[in-house]
Amino acid sequence: MVDLSVKIAGICLKNPVMVASGTFGFAREYSRMFDVNELGAVVTKGITLLPKEGNPPPRLFETTAGLLNSVGLENPGVEGFIRDEWPYLKTLQVPVIVNIAGETVEEYRRITQCLSPLEGISALEVNISCPNVEKGGMAFGRHPDSAYEVVRAVKEQSPFPVIAKLSPNVSDIREIALAVEEAGADAVSLINTILGMAVDVEKKRPVFKRVFAGLSGPAVKPIALRMVYEVYEAVRIPVIGMGGIFSWRDAVEFILAGASAVAVGSAIFSDPVAPLKIIRGLEDYAARNLQTRISDLVGLAHRNAAEF
Amino acid sequence: MHQAEIILNEKVAHSIYLLRLRANKVAEGANPGQFLHVKCTKGPHPLLRRPFSIAGAHREEGTADIIYRVVGEGTSILSKKRPGEVLDIMGPLGRGFPLPLPGTLPLIVGGGVGVAPLLFLAKELNKAGLVGRAFLGFSTAREAFGKEIFETCGFSVELTTDDGTHGKRGFPTELLEDYLKSEKKVKAIVYACGPRMLLLKVKEIAVSFGILAYLSLEERMGCGIGACFGCAVKSAKGGYKKVCWDGPVFEAGEVEIW
Repeated sequence: MVDLSVKIAGICLKNPVMVASGTFGFAREYSRMFDVNELGAVVTKGITLLPKEGNPPPRLFETTAGLLNSVGLENPGVEGFIRDEWPYLKTLQVPVIVNIAGETVEEYRRITQCLSPLEGISALEVNISCPNVEKGGMAFGRHPDSAYEVVRAVKEQSPFPVIAKLSPNVSDIREIALAVEEAGADAVSLINTILGMAVDVEKKRPVFKRVFAGLSGPAVKPIALRMVYEVYEAVRIPVIGMGGIFSWRDAVEFILAGASAVAVGSAIFSDPVAPLKIIRGLEDYAARNLQTRISDLVGLAHRNAAEF
Repeated sequence: MHQAEIILNEKVAHSIYLLRLRANKVAEGANPGQFLHVKCTKGPHPLLRRPFSIAGAHREEGTADIIYRVVGEGTSILSKKRPGEVLDIMGPLGRGFPLPLPGTLPLIVGGGVGVAPLLFLAKELNKAGLVGRAFLGFSTAREAFGKEIFETCGFSVELTTDDGTHGKRGFPTELLEDYLKSEKKVKAIVYACGPRMLLLKVKEIAVSFGILAYLSLEERMGCGIGACFGCAVKSAKGGYKKVCWDGPVFEAGEVEIW
């Protein structure tokens, strides 16, 4: 029997497969299709202090092995979330991680205050990496100082563990990871989407109104993997890896590169039960490799890299 | 989500295909205007599923139809699938067309492959003892399809093509407008699906004649179940609605067609 459980930021996950923020709504939508309690953890869509209407369509564009999105953090705001989404989420048997985003440090602080009374939140994931909004989001995650400031503010208010979700759109992601670790983050998750774009050749203009959009899917996996590998070496806090994970093999790569847990995003659109297939695949893989604990695989590629 | 066997997949007009699936759940539960979210390949590429409105459901046989136009990679792959192969489908999904009140004349306006869900609608209207008129538009004669099915359902059909190679030259919305002008006393309801310009025009006409119109919208979709907020359409009340979840059929006044 393989032990799939992992511990991150003080949260115990029965398996290391979570869903990526923004791809899984508020879990209720997918609960009509499968038992979401089989997941390692649920991560909600990003929540802002006030309701956010999001960007005008088109919001999605498929690319070779990838997906560009410009949803723009559409969400019901923290009050709407507590009123309409939390009653269902709190019934889940698995950890619920609430993703939060803001335009100012003060907004992050206030969202955290609003969420603090909710018993049952397992952790907050601080989104300092959304590329699809005018203010805030990625702007905070591109500089060590502002990343530090946001995470520090959330950490000061939060009764829950804090995970910082990092942007890949930086020259050295290790600097940001170190800054949020210093600010007290209990874990880091990476990567958010990579800034990209598409041009409509008929209209001869960018596909998206905001011109640039966030790329996810298999196309970004090698980059995400490299960043997880780098950050694993740079920080002591656990790393949650994501970016184009479509199969158990992808998940194993991330774990070997240093991810204590992984998140599945775009793959869910292709196959809603992809996370469950990945969990089963991980179990088989570990059994085949005579591993009794999946957590023993975390970061193994680093040790083995020395043997080249 | 289920695996559905392909019963047939054949060309019904230029670049237009009819695909029949063995899918009991769809055959039994589908309403006109709802859609299937179809995975075109087994692997991760193309990444997204493709939404297709349901063009017919055959309860006795346990089968359902979609009609699609080959426009890109996904539909091109789909067009090469053979009977016996299996497709991964989600659905029926979304909110379909509400049936009219008795005594209301249904007027159907379809453009191009947008005619697909209206075929299903005509069959259901016919079952409910309602018949009306269908105004169909295609870009050219060889792309026209579906006329006989509307006729079998008791609808009188008028056709247009953009180039005049079949039926009247022009657009089906002109036929709708002419009809409403000539039949001022008729209590009608409009059902439309087609290109954005067609929907926009139908909405204008419905407003000017003070009649109810239901529009089936098309948008690129991610999850298909209202979770990813990828398929947005501007709501008349501000903010956005999700085409996959709140629609794809909307009362014309609910949304802003641009």
